Amino acid sequence: MKFTTQLAAGVALSLLASAAFAYDADWKRGRVYYRSVCTSCHAVQPVGTINPSSKTKAEWAAYLKADKHAKGKDTVKQYVSKAYRASIKSGNKAAEKFAAVPDQELLDDVAAFLTKGAKDGDAPASCN
Amino acid sequence: MRHALIRAALLLCSAGWLVTAGPVLAEESQPEPKPLKLTTTADHTKFKELQQTFNSGPEVTKACLRCHTEAAGQIHRTKHWKWEYLNPETKQTLGKKTVVNNFCISIASNYASCTSCHVGYGWKDASFDFASEENVDCLACHDTTGNYKKPPGFAGNPVVKDTEFPPGSGKIIKGIDLTKIAQKVGKSSRDTCGACHFNGGGGDGVKHGDMDSSLAAPTKDIDVHMDAEGLDFTCGTCHKTSSHDVAGSRYTPTAKDSKGAHVRGKADNGNPATCVACHGNGPHKSVARLNQHATKIACQTCHIPTYARGGIATKMTWDWSTAGQRDAEGKHIVKKDAKGRIVYESRKGDFTLAENVKPEYAWFNGNVQYTLLTDKIEKSEQRTPINKMGGSPSDGKSMIWPMKVFRGSQPYDPVNKTLITPHTAGNDDTGFWKNLDWDKAIPVGMKDSGAPYSGKFDFIKTEMSWPITHMVAPKDKALGCAECHSKQSRLAGIQGIYIPVRDNNKLLDTIGWSIVFLTMLGVFGHGAIRIVSSRKH
Repeated sequence: MKFTTQLAAGVALSLLASAAFAYDADWKRGRVYYRSVCTSCHAVQPVGTINPSSKTKAEWAAYLKADKHAKGKDTVKQYVSKAYRASIKSGNKAAEKFAAVPDQELLDDVAAFLTKGAKDGDAPASCN
Repeated sequence: MRHALIRAALLLCSAGWLVTAGPVLAEESQPEPKPLKLTTTADHTKFKELQQTFNSGPEVTKACLRCHTEAAGQIHRTKHWKWEYLNPETKQTLGKKTVVNNFCISIASNYASCTSCHVGYGWKDASFDFASEENVDCLACHDTTGNYKKPPGFAGNPVVKDTEFPPGSGKIIKGIDLTKIAQKVGKSSRDTCGACHFNGGGGDGVKHGDMDSSLAAPTKDIDVHMDAEGLDFTCGTCHKTSSHDVAGSRYTPTAKDSKGAHVRGKADNGNPATCVACHGNGPHKSVARLNQHATKIACQTCHIPTYARGGIATKMTWDWSTAGQRDAEGKHIVKKDAKGRIVYESRKGDFTLAENVKPEYAWFNGNVQYTLLTDKIEKSEQRTPINKMGGSPSDGKSMIWPMKVFRGSQPYDPVNKTLITPHTAGNDDTGFWKNLDWDKAIPVGMKDSGAPYSGKFDFIKTEMSWPITHMVAPKDKALGCAECHSKQSRLAGIQGIYIPVRDNNKLLDTIGWSIVFLTMLGVFGHGAIRIVSSRKH
């Protein structure tokens, strides 16, 4: 019991400590990446473009948490990864510009933009 | 006890390490550096002054001013605060407080609506306290969340609690969290400037044509400087701000900048927002002839081939004379075109809109003479200029500029022969947008403007010119020679200058072609003689 309490206290304090250094997502960078990478590719794929305002905040959160892109054929994360950016940067300026951004930061940026631009977000957004 | 402390310390360290570094190490072998904000030197969430609940804009400003003690005083000196400007050339008192336009016409008697774009709180009528520091709105320019909004009708105040507006309409304006916004302040951005400047004239892209929300995160094709994936200029990159005063003016634009590129330390550098301020007076390196063009032609003329290029239409005409119609049930009418854009509203009349618009062109020397409420006007076949752009081919100060010329029909007083400032916005019995009654709206508006009204009104055709200077295209999209040097020249209406191909002067053409013919004759003749003489030897 004592050990469990200590463990819980340790985790809680660590979370607080990590929160102090938590990344403050940049929705504007997320906006550029979403439009320039996600939308530009979707626009030429059969699925077409997907407006941020086509889903609610909860739906976007669930989508990102599930991390299933193309109905589970691959992951969302891989399209935000440095490896993916490196693979398309010769033909995509946003991928080139954000080539060095850590994966999790860029994913958080995109998530922040989608949350803000969601149907019930602070500023429902289109792809344009 | 000692063991317990050690165990706790170990637990803290290990759990902390797992939480902070675990996910990173799981994905990559190299740990990522700690996130660092590079766009600001202060994390405002850490300031105690901002760790409180704010229920109004002025409460936020008071907190800001505890550290930024001089900021409000600086704002007080600016056009953004005063909405008043004395043009030193024409001696006209201008600024939004005074001028009339042919969009929503005037702010007089419509303060509570129009001042949603004022950098202040509470300007609901002429009694607004311009000396108040706490009425300065810091968030309008320094919000980074994109969530700060000041809806029309609240005299420049944000709405902090869900509010039904207009009362009884059933429409709810969501309240915003000022504390979260205040803790995230930062540099101004295209989004903050654009909140007002993209929406001039009552909607996205309506007024300027070269400024709309497509510039919030534009591609290179829309604006080569603001390209969000490239140079990523903010508005402030060109409109270099000093002590909160933003460079650049619609009232006294710099039409011809002969001062060259700005150099640090050089005194009296002039307007930093011109093209020349960065590019100098001879910007074309490979084709020197283009630099000769740049002595008479504004950079914008060639480098902004069309405006409203971002997929958002701009208004081109506005006919107030058709406003006021109701349907069979007496309700307001709204008509839309095939693209879903409003082309008629009972409140406002008929509109036309357009995208990818070729500008009109005019000689412009930077002098702008406004038609104010005190000026006499005559109804005629000619449109009355709301602003007259000065310029001529021979004054040495003019360049050929691209313009958006906005044409409309608006109310005027045929007896006093003046423009009219009607009371339009407002949820009261005299507001035209509510009751569609000019006879109620005009007397109230003119009284608030302090101008005489005869009791009679008519509509007069007007036009207003807006120099085009944003939405600079990539150089490969700049105008080609034939756009001007042809019979269908874009510069067909420009007088006082000879433009080859567009213009015909028989004598000049004969002389020119004769020189070409004689030159060719000389070259071939010389060649023939050389060939013949070489065969003889």
